[in-house]
Amino acid sequence: MNYINLTNSLVAKALELGANSAEVYLETGRNLSIQVLNGEIETIEEAASAGIGFRVLVDGKTGFSHCNDLSDKSLEDTLKQAIEFAKLTTPDENNVLPANSEMTDIEGLYDPEISTIPMEKKIEIALKLEELALSDPRISKSSGAGYNEGEEEVYIANSNGLSKNYKSNGCSIGVSVVAEKGEQKNTGGEYCSRRFFNDLDPIEKIASKAADEAAALIDPVMIPTQRAAVIVDSGTAGSIIRGIIGALNGERVQQGASFLKDSMDKSFASTLLTIVDDGIRPKGMGSAPFDGEGVPTQKRVLVEKGVVKGFVYNTIAANRAGVESTGNASRRGFTGLPGIGTHNLYVEAGENTPEEIIAATKKGLLVTQITGYGINSVNGNFSGGASGFWVEDGKKKHPVKGVTIAGTADEILNAIDMMGDDVDMNKSFTVPTFRVKEMMIGGS
Amino acid sequence: MKKYVVSDIPRRDFLKMSLKGGLVFAASPAILSSLTSCGSESVSEATGMSIDPAILKKVIGKALEKGGDFADVYLENRVSRQIVMEESKFKNGLYGVSQGAGVRVISGNKTGYAYSDEITEEKLLRAAEVASYVARNGSAVTPVDINKAERKSYITVEQPLAEIADSRRIEIIQRANDAAMSYNPLIKMASVDYYDEIRSRVIANSEGIYLQDENPLMFFIVQTMSDNGKARHMSRERLSKHSGFEMFDKFSPEEVAEKAAREAVAMLDAEAAPAGIMDVVMMNGWGGVLVHEAVGHPLEADNISKGIGAFTGKLGQKVASDVFTMVDDGTIPNARGTISFDDEGTQAKRNVLIENGVLNGYMTDVLSAKQLGMERTGNGRRESFRYIPIPRMTNTFIENGESEPADILASTKKGIYVQSLSGGSVNPVTGVFNFTCREAYLVENGKKTKPVKGATLIGSCLDVISNIDAVGNDLDFGPGICGKGQAAEVDAGQPTVRIRGINVGGSRS
Repeated sequence: MNYINLTNSLVAKALELGANSAEVYLETGRNLSIQVLNGEIETIEEAASAGIGFRVLVDGKTGFSHCNDLSDKSLEDTLKQAIEFAKLTTPDENNVLPANSEMTDIEGLYDPEISTIPMEKKIEIALKLEELALSDPRISKSSGAGYNEGEEEVYIANSNGLSKNYKSNGCSIGVSVVAEKGEQKNTGGEYCSRRFFNDLDPIEKIASKAADEAAALIDPVMIPTQRAAVIVDSGTAGSIIRGIIGALNGERVQQGASFLKDSMDKSFASTLLTIVDDGIRPKGMGSAPFDGEGVPTQKRVLVEKGVVKGFVYNTIAANRAGVESTGNASRRGFTGLPGIGTHNLYVEAGENTPEEIIAATKKGLLVTQITGYGINSVNGNFSGGASGFWVEDGKKKHPVKGVTIAGTADEILNAIDMMGDDVDMNKSFTVPTFRVKEMMIGGS
Repeated sequence: MKKYVVSDIPRRDFLKMSLKGGLVFAASPAILSSLTSCGSESVSEATGMSIDPAILKKVIGKALEKGGDFADVYLENRVSRQIVMEESKFKNGLYGVSQGAGVRVISGNKTGYAYSDEITEEKLLRAAEVASYVARNGSAVTPVDINKAERKSYITVEQPLAEIADSRRIEIIQRANDAAMSYNPLIKMASVDYYDEIRSRVIANSEGIYLQDENPLMFFIVQTMSDNGKARHMSRERLSKHSGFEMFDKFSPEEVAEKAAREAVAMLDAEAAPAGIMDVVMMNGWGGVLVHEAVGHPLEADNISKGIGAFTGKLGQKVASDVFTMVDDGTIPNARGTISFDDEGTQAKRNVLIENGVLNGYMTDVLSAKQLGMERTGNGRRESFRYIPIPRMTNTFIENGESEPADILASTKKGIYVQSLSGGSVNPVTGVFNFTCREAYLVENGKKTKPVKGATLIGSCLDVISNIDAVGNDLDFGPGICGKGQAAEVDAGQPTVRIRGINVGGSRS
């Protein structure tokens, strides 16, 4: 089926049926998931599917519908439902579809090799990865290893003449293991996702990271409740920074539901904090030539040296704010309306290695795992569970488990006094190791 | 390591998270769906889920052609409606239809799975062939003839969703919004999310069962934001039942909205919570999510059969205090977690997991029951035809005890009173869990005093159930979305309980 023609003809059909403007979003996908456990295949799942979502505007009112039956009758029935549903909603002058016909050119979103590699080889990689991780003498059990791949094509057409499409794919491998000592148990896991199969990290590296993580926190020692420096490692730092991203959501800012709502061009964090959203990075896992409603993606500095430089918008939120869409319409599949999200987001690297940061810390907690929701994007409050190592006189002294760390965004982000150089640009969200001068730590 | 969470946005396994936009089908949030033209009298006719059982038999035969111990076919059709009001505007209306079928083959410990959006004989046979990959060179069972099986249903419908005019949905949403916004001038914004669906399923397997049913689900969420110029709080209240539209005759939208607004206003005065280990009194209701995470997930049999779960090898042992009894019950009439029969066709039932502190059983699906040599408990659930069934909870709760809730509070000298939790997660291997409080108060000399900011509670499952020393007689439930690589609708419940010595993540000493 020619999906370019199909999406365009469905736009015309929507106008014929009474919509004033219309958008058709079609997605096809294929995925393969292989899980292995204890040297044997545990599950193999494979499927291909397609679905379509209709966004229509009737007198400034929005309606949406979706279906995965692409027969003519199903498509027409579903489209009619969107138009009927639109009539129920409140008109809003900001409800406009984008018209921009450009696309950003991005290299490396599709690896033609992935689908040609035989299933046996993919199974073997997962099995070898598990075997390697289990061969570490500190590791007692496996909780599984896996290989996954996915491929999708997106077609968007709207009544402003926009008609675009692109194809992307990617693959990933990962393993999770358990270290035990007496009654103690600890898990560790590591994975690697890439656009290109040949760019996947060597399985030796992944296996040893998983084993290290599982073994590291055996024999923890509880620490007393106190205020002290907190070093958050790069694998964990994202769980603190994520709440800032929610607070930079342009729609939330308009609604007053963001702790950064009044912070444009104002400082809210340490000058060591610079945050960039890059939608156009070659081979980026979060890259795309256009966003979830067809607006070209870009690279933008959101926070520069602790000062808010930009919020992120889709078309409707941008109209409301009186600005241009920033190409941040996010779409979680064909089943929903575009929301707002980031592409490849990173905190700019600082000057210190993680080792230097530890060496410069007289007394503090090196955090390697955080649980909880991170900074609350509405009011900036933060409280989480933490595990890691106690640091004294610049050295890791002993593992720590089951403590808490807490504070407000204002206190934590302004107290960042060292920024690491260890960003991993292969990830779609990456933050280097950083140190917070002082934070509340809850222990015994 | 998969994380097991209950939260607003279910977390996904690593691939699905990392391949942002790359695996949209698998990563779509609760894939909504379902069908069809308005005004149809009978939804089952509208959903068109009729299929010739002879085709299902043929597909099962094909699935086991290369070997295998078990095969099943699952057909699903889901019609959903969602209307969102935000800032007092009907922001959008969403309508969806989703249908498809999956074929699974189990051979020893191996599972093969494939699905298709198109429910045709050709596509089902193709899925069967793909799924049978794992069974190559294995021994085979001979599938038996499929026959309609009898299962008891615990879901009743008085006002079918397909017969409800959209204007009635709109009215409910407007009433909730008006109640929230007029509650107090400090409420600056309300968001009302109305969702309903009709899900039809057909299940057939190589043991000969053939089942079909159709169930409604309603999910109503009110969030309100308060702001007094100094502080801001986003609150939430949810209502959900497997029921027709009569849910709103029993629970008014105003009641839901006012509960949300009350929390938003109360929490504006919240102070920093203290940090460290202290006693926690948890109010009855949704607080049961703590044991859902901390104890329920580790009692799901998949990690037990792998030999890595926190409760591995502890059957029949004393694992909790005498006052602690925990149950998973998929038969509570019309509750959000109720399933009648699970997505593998096993009759739902009341399973006592821990009785007076002694571990009584795990929650199984077909595969883990076989691996452990235990009975099927009716916990094999799946988010949609795009996922394989895995052991999941239904309505999970701490059973009523004998204490008066007021006495539990009055006898607690110092600590935290938790009125509601946002959600949390657990590592099912180590049993280490965390929760975030949404509404909590200091306890001073047996009294609830000042509100405190959303603190995290952390601990390990075995410690927490040993440290529950008082259980009230006021069992209540709350609705949630449970994430374990795929989403499931659940209820969590508990009476008022006290837990001695939990680590509270406050920001002051």
